[in-house]
Amino acid sequence: MLSRQKVLMSSFELYSPTDLNDALRFMEQEERKAAVIASGTDLLPRMRRRQISPSVLLDISSFTEDLRYVKQTEGTIRLGALTTVADLLESPMFHGKLSIIREAATLFGAPQVRNVATVGGNICSAASSEDLIPVFMALGASLRLVSARGERTVALKDFIVGKRQTAMKPSEILVEISFTPPDGHSWTAYEKLGRRNMLILAMVNEALSLTLEDDLQTVHSARVALNRVSGKIPALAVKTSEFLEGKKVTDQNIAKAEKILASELSLTSDFRGSGEYRTEVAKVYLRRLVERCALQIRGTS
Amino acid sequence: MAKRAITINVNGTEHPVRVDTRDRLIDVLRDELNLKSVKEGCSTGDCGICAVLVDGKLVNSCLMLAAQCDGRRVTTLEGLLEDPNMKRIQSSFIANNAAQCGFCTPAMLVASWDLARHSTEPSNEEIKVAISGILCRCTGYYQIIDSIREGCEGRQR
Repeated sequence: MLSRQKVLMSSFELYSPTDLNDALRFMEQEERKAAVIASGTDLLPRMRRRQISPSVLLDISSFTEDLRYVKQTEGTIRLGALTTVADLLESPMFHGKLSIIREAATLFGAPQVRNVATVGGNICSAASSEDLIPVFMALGASLRLVSARGERTVALKDFIVGKRQTAMKPSEILVEISFTPPDGHSWTAYEKLGRRNMLILAMVNEALSLTLEDDLQTVHSARVALNRVSGKIPALAVKTSEFLEGKKVTDQNIAKAEKILASELSLTSDFRGSGEYRTEVAKVYLRRLVERCALQIRGTS
Repeated sequence: MAKRAITINVNGTEHPVRVDTRDRLIDVLRDELNLKSVKEGCSTGDCGICAVLVDGKLVNSCLMLAAQCDGRRVTTLEGLLEDPNMKRIQSSFIANNAAQCGFCTPAMLVASWDLARHSTEPSNEEIKVAISGILCRCTGYYQIIDSIREGCEGRQR
């Protein structure tokens, strides 16, 4: 029996590989641009709206033994692509300097979605409202992409190339997100604006990783990342980040950084909010993030 | 039409079913297994009315392909009706008038039962987070929050 709900989706083949090698072989052979499905929380509504109609889905959701982990090896934090947002909240790793991940995960969707939505899926969706992309960009994260022919590592900032577009080849699968936790006098923070607290796609979201010099006044390094930089792409606000480096954390410098941020954003209007409003919020968030991080660094140093 | 044979354990019983690859978990639960406590609202993961437990985790059954549930354990409200914690929560919903039109009630009950497993005395904030993904258009939530708080008291692990 086909209900009203089912006929909205076009028909597709579903391939359930036995292991990762089988999946990679399938992707290599098929060349028919199979869409990878993990939990499907982003993919299925888009398929039902016929925004995409893949003829083949490759189901990687059963690879949890291989691709669902949070671990630290040789100073690098590694997240398997199938790590769920709920896993991030349960991990003891994301406190203190890395509480940015907890902050973003807390504001991510609803409990039912956090229980299944994956970190890899959120990144590969590459939408302009994803919660985790600016966070991992601010952390300078890299992605490990594998195919039957080998593997390569791509910086997340180079991975998102457009709205819903990534640098991933049709034969590749994202398996791991990794980053080096910020060192020295550093802190990270996240801000998100939606019309409610819970269960909302972000109108503006902004992440910052800040490191101060030993004087606890001067910025050693800063990475500001937002969704919708230059149109609709989540990206680093490069000019703003560079401006902050070497400057003292003062009202005037933050005000200058706000202006630079406004100039490098081209926030667009849509039904969630106007571009002008978003720009103002992004400026306010920059100030809050810098002040929050500086305060935390001084409090813990 | 791509078909596939799967077996899902629903409320403790193994159900071999033949599904279309497009079938979502909610389609199998409602149309094949006649479990009508699972409601379809928005179909996009916003309203949470289709919430069930899969392998003990609360999920939206409209956002999950049935074929991906092969070999997994699904629990709907029907499977919890004899559970003492559920009975207590249900009575509390009735005593507090927490069901008005009733459409969100099954999902609210399953989410409350899930919360009660982890917390004997949840704060109002914890309760709000637990039901934040389930929309109720009638009650204004306060009766529901009161019911859950009272229903969780004295629950059994």
